[in-house]
Amino acid sequence: MLKIQHLSFRYTPRGIPVLRDISMTLQNGEIGILLGRNGSGKTTLFQTILGLHTPESGSLTFDGKDLVRMPKRERAGILAYVPQDIQFGELQVFDSVLMGRVSRFGLRASRHDYEVVEKILADMQLEAYAGKNVAHLSGGERQKVAIARALAQEPRLLIFDEPTGNLDIANEQLIMEEARKLAKEKNIGILCSLHNLSQALAFGDRFFFLKDGAIRYAGGKEQCTEATIYDVFGIHVRILHCEGEILIGGRRNNA
Amino acid sequence: MYPLQKTRRRKSAVLFALVLAVLALSFACLFAGPSSMSWEACWAALWRTGSPASDIRIIWNIRIPRVLAAILAGAGLSVSGLIMQTTLHNAMASPSTLGVSNAAVFGANLSIIAFAGGFLQTGGLVSHYDSGANPYATSLMAFLFSTLSILLILGLCRLRAFSPNVVVLAGIAVGAIWTAGTTLLQFYATDVGLSAAVIWNFGDLGRATYRTNLIMLAAVAGGSVFFSLMSWRYNALLSGEAAAQTMGVHVERLRFVSLLLASVITAVCVSFLGVIGFVGILCPHTMKRLLGQDHRWLIPASLLSGSLLLLAADTFARSIGGGSALPVGAITTLLGAPFFVAIIFSKKGAAHA
Repeated sequence: MLKIQHLSFRYTPRGIPVLRDISMTLQNGEIGILLGRNGSGKTTLFQTILGLHTPESGSLTFDGKDLVRMPKRERAGILAYVPQDIQFGELQVFDSVLMGRVSRFGLRASRHDYEVVEKILADMQLEAYAGKNVAHLSGGERQKVAIARALAQEPRLLIFDEPTGNLDIANEQLIMEEARKLAKEKNIGILCSLHNLSQALAFGDRFFFLKDGAIRYAGGKEQCTEATIYDVFGIHVRILHCEGEILIGGRRNNA
Repeated sequence: MYPLQKTRRRKSAVLFALVLAVLALSFACLFAGPSSMSWEACWAALWRTGSPASDIRIIWNIRIPRVLAAILAGAGLSVSGLIMQTTLHNAMASPSTLGVSNAAVFGANLSIIAFAGGFLQTGGLVSHYDSGANPYATSLMAFLFSTLSILLILGLCRLRAFSPNVVVLAGIAVGAIWTAGTTLLQFYATDVGLSAAVIWNFGDLGRATYRTNLIMLAAVAGGSVFFSLMSWRYNALLSGEAAAQTMGVHVERLRFVSLLLASVITAVCVSFLGVIGFVGILCPHTMKRLLGQDHRWLIPASLLSGSLLLLAADTFARSIGGGSALPVGAITTLLGAPFFVAIIFSKKGAAHA
């Protein structure tokens, strides 16, 4: 379980706080979705959880273990990251995924590492791509490779920064279904940021609305009301209930 | 998995071909030279079987150290370039990026021009300037200044965030300072001093001795072992800094140690042999085109291709020079640059990573 208490962070000592007194928890096996406008602090929050920034105050724990003071390699065995801008060198897909295990094997991959990667590739139906140059794949395929790489770390919590940012709706659906499956089957927590509110409601278990670096609302689907969305995003939307699903659509403001 | 084995075999074949080419060229280089010895005479002298003492001396005291120097310096400069490109996320980074070569040039010029580098004791003969009282004085000065330059830049970068762009910019700035200093030195130099300094700058594998080769071997071998062990971490670094850190890589520490080692290798090679440019850009990029960016293959391939280029350039320089070898630094670029341009513009990329 990820537990964050009163976390604050700013980039420069006298700068504006980018994260203000954030407290949240996410159970293993749950999908938590971070919602908020560009610049509301979503990526910074992710990166602080991942240890890329040192918090100014507050605590960050996973299953009771302090994440802030944990050595990088140990942390890499708990948290894995799929960043917004996915980059790979000119490597084969297989090696790009195997690379995720570098914190476990250190200098040289063992037989076991190869087996883990083979299984992940099979699970994600990437076997046919194993020998391809990852730099030549399409956006959606690279996204899948990045997820496979994160899974190769065998993490307890997966952090996705806008996993569907560059994808068409079919790939978006595919990736989110994959995430859902991972959370349930492997009992790992998934924390991700999404811009598509309908998609968020369809796949999320818990929702965190971030505004100006602070969590304004947190909770289940019941938090997603027209009023909340107006407060966080400043737009009027229409929420429709349709065969058990919730759809959120934009509404023309003062035409 | 079948396709994996196939590419693996292809990459092994490339490495094997490189090894063969280096061996073949080493012999060609050994048998070429201004002394008009026949192949048979060279071969006999190599085994010291009944050859004249002069032949044995040419082979064992002049040509073998020279071939070894080409292999070592080529490998060292090439792999240093690769490591700098990877750790600085900059395709144009090379051993001269951190101002290492510029600082070495300044140090050597200072030694030659201001402290007479030992050459005046040999009667002012420009061609013998480095065989004077202390042949190591100039190399030592070159090495001291390049080390100073490295420590200055890496030290400055440690003060603030150690970001690649800051390192590159600091390297360019500090390099420019050394170059300006060199210009001033040369302005005040005597004719003889100036010629000696310019000749030093040319880069010449003929300066190598067994002792300097041993020092180069220590630097290049030590660095390469470290680089090879870090192969996976360099691969991870290609995914970007944040991603690499979340995979458990200490990015700043790796970058600091790698740059330090790569710079020391460059400093050692340049101090003993003079400036030999472009190897560090050309060879790694050519190998990336052929093999992709997996450092497990790229590091040995860069080492070998660097040796190959310098051997080829030196053999060429000595074959057409008509008695005196042309400056190998210039030949390296003349031979390599057109090839490099052809590689860059060729449509066929690394299709199989």
